[in-house]
Amino acid sequence: MSSNNIDPQHTIARHVLGTEAFACVRCGLTVSALAPDGRRRNHCPSCLYSRHVLDQVEGGASECGSRMSPISIAVLRTGDWMLIHRCVRCDELTSNPVCGDDNQLILMRMAVRPLAEPPFPLEAFGTL
Amino acid sequence: MPRRKPPQQRRPQRYKDVLHGNGRHRSNDFRCVGCRLDVSLDAPGTAHRNHCPNCLASLHVDHRVPGDRASDCRGRMEALSLTVRPDGEWMIIHQCLSCGELSANRIAGDDNALALMRLALRPLQDRRVAHRALLTAL
Repeated sequence: MSSNNIDPQHTIARHVLGTEAFACVRCGLTVSALAPDGRRRNHCPSCLYSRHVLDQVEGGASECGSRMSPISIAVLRTGDWMLIHRCVRCDELTSNPVCGDDNQLILMRMAVRPLAEPPFPLEAFGTL
Repeated sequence: MPRRKPPQQRRPQRYKDVLHGNGRHRSNDFRCVGCRLDVSLDAPGTAHRNHCPNCLASLHVDHRVPGDRASDCRGRMEALSLTVRPDGEWMIIHQCLSCGELSANRIAGDDNALALMRLALRPLQDRRVAHRALLTAL
């Protein structure tokens, strides 16, 4: 992975100072690795794309490294939203919490996307 | 201005050694872990039924490739959310309740429409996010 050739001392220093950043694999936006609420973020706040660096099935680092597109919104019992990503290369799924500065319009578009093309007529629900 | 990239073809699904033949383990009907409904494998609209049409629950038996039956977990998988393919087909995303693994499967023609609608409307129940996105962000 790309982090192998970076000096670990340098990486730790940047992490402590809060200046660590990554470039989005899709839109190229330079994003700070810490969200405003202090958590580490793993997706671009502008286009919500992520990168496949963690293996969800067996744990540890993944060798895939390709981009992950946001496909859906999941709601936890607490009411928090999770963003579900799918790797475009190996089809693996991940879920991550939504950050406060994520693009709200893309989030809403994903949330209402199933209702745009329902597989059955929605008029039937009016009579229930 | 001419299009820079030709419109992308949809990538074909990866090859799966489908195990539905006679005598294989998927040739039998199964009983749902959630509501104990006896489910037949003949589903309208799909050849890969893996969830109960009534309560949408599934079982964690596949590891990386759908149909490989290589997982040791055997936990119960609950429907977590819905996603839509570019061609408009709905897919259910299941999450394993014991190990947290995620998987996606197409809906079948006889899936419970009310349960599907409840899943689709779940993000919109919380009005804070919708309010913030649609009324104040613009």
